[in-house]
Amino acid sequence: MSAFGTPETARQRSPGPAPGGLSALAQRWAERLYGWRWRLLPPLTGIAMFAMILGAVIVAPREAIEGEVQRLMYIHVPSANVMYAAVFAWLVASAIVLWKRDMRWDPIARSVAGVGWLFTGLTLATGALWGKPIWGTWWAWDARLTSTLILFLIFSAYLLARSLADESDEQVARYSAVFAVIGAVDVPIIYMSVRWWRTLHPQPVVANLEGPALPMSMLIVLLISLVAIVLLAIWLVALKSEAESAGHRLTAIRTAIDRRERA
Amino acid sequence: MDHLEYLFAGFAVFWGGLLFYLMWLQARLHGLNREIARLEERLAEAETPRPRAETGIATSRS
Repeated sequence: MSAFGTPETARQRSPGPAPGGLSALAQRWAERLYGWRWRLLPPLTGIAMFAMILGAVIVAPREAIEGEVQRLMYIHVPSANVMYAAVFAWLVASAIVLWKRDMRWDPIARSVAGVGWLFTGLTLATGALWGKPIWGTWWAWDARLTSTLILFLIFSAYLLARSLADESDEQVARYSAVFAVIGAVDVPIIYMSVRWWRTLHPQPVVANLEGPALPMSMLIVLLISLVAIVLLAIWLVALKSEAESAGHRLTAIRTAIDRRERA
Repeated sequence: MDHLEYLFAGFAVFWGGLLFYLMWLQARLHGLNREIARLEERLAEAETPRPRAETGIATSRS
């Protein structure tokens, strides 16, 4: 199978429509969009990525004080936003696994955690590369950087725990869902750290009470970059979910073969 | 002042990281699907009853 997947398989797996009403219509559309994900995501992501690169490298103006290196903002800030969104999605999926014991959400939790780990790592790496010429150091143990590193370690611990255990082990899935709760506690600390403590990291330039502190040309490119990286993250989550589901299926087939050989 | 080397390094790390993750994911998915196909084939073979002549037992006793 390719990265573009098989729409037929997705359609077969999706549950049937609910009877009548507005919710049925919404569900039908959601199912249709889910079935089209391999047709929609690659071209949409490609177009958005092209616009992002064009905007970040050519269209956006050069920043007067920091110079060209400030263009790293167009990958660093959207990566950080995807990191926040991933923690939220991870928390929702893990909460359903934890309380409802619905194991259908476990592959989603694992997929989102994998992609969240990737974007947290990219946020730290691009931040260090931006920090060196501006702050004069790759790393500082300030509140924003340290709390982000803690989130990266939480993601790593979760993924390590899941990779060491059997994929279909429900107890491991429920216990490791606690990592998502700890990660979710860390997110408000990361976000508020620049307000609560004195940090090297600057205050938010977009999510301000006084409005965005960016020129419109930079703000538009930043929003395009955000859309592009969110689409890319959704694509990666969809692909990782396919891999997780395939892993579960493989375990089920192995169990069936073992049972048969013992009989 | 522009520190272009850091800009290039930042973009390289970002795109390189994404590409590496995508390729790793693609390879894993490919490997899993191949293993599933192999095991399904094995399971199907095990479920199909074999004709007696093919087992070799009948020929050795005759």
